[in-house]
Amino acid sequence: MPGSCEAAITLTGDLHARPAGSLAVTAARFQSVVELSVGASMADAKSVLAVMGLGATRGQQITVRAVGPDAAEAVAAMIGILAEATPVGG
Amino acid sequence: MSDEARVGIVLVSHSAALAEGTAEVAGQIGGGGVIIAPAGGTDEGGIGTSIARVRRAVQAAGTSAGVVILPDLGSSVLTVRALLAEEDFPGPVALADAPFVEGAVAATVTAAAGGDVKAVLQAAEEARHARKL
Repeated sequence: MPGSCEAAITLTGDLHARPAGSLAVTAARFQSVVELSVGASMADAKSVLAVMGLGATRGQQITVRAVGPDAAEAVAAMIGILAEATPVGG
Repeated sequence: MSDEARVGIVLVSHSAALAEGTAEVAGQIGGGGVIIAPAGGTDEGGIGTSIARVRRAVQAAGTSAGVVILPDLGSSVLTVRALLAEEDFPGPVALADAPFVEGAVAATVTAAAGGDVKAVLQAAEEARHARKL
């Protein structure tokens, strides 16, 4: 039975292209469905263009939700990248 | 998955600078690990396409996992088709109908994650539907 997991983080910088790529590459390694949401916008974390299309900026809360056999690990990995990557531009 | 060869990407443009710049952007976003070979401009370095440059790029980017080729505009497609008609390459080769920059970025990220030629081609072609605003 698939598990589900959710966590949120407040961005300390804008979500630029490089961390978006890192999120998508990492998300694709999990079997779970992984979604990112900011306000009313939601993106498949495995699609780099969708993640960039969120246009998430500093101070916004981004929620990571995963459903599947490795949901907890996927959410932890996404939060780790978001925590690390956002203060730096690019 | 991590031990297997990644699908390579070939960017065919009328401009060497456009192909090289797009390769640079896609490589940065993809985080490395994927061979992205630009094939832009004519043999003389002008605006246009060159079958010889595309051939070299396919040879450079082609791995056992295969290669996905993204053309920028019309006659880039003709040049790639002419090459594929006259030459066989060892791995699978796919030609993507995709927006150039977005397709290159999406394809590179999917290749970096270990996607096969089919998945990389699909990621490139789905880029057509991505909204940036």
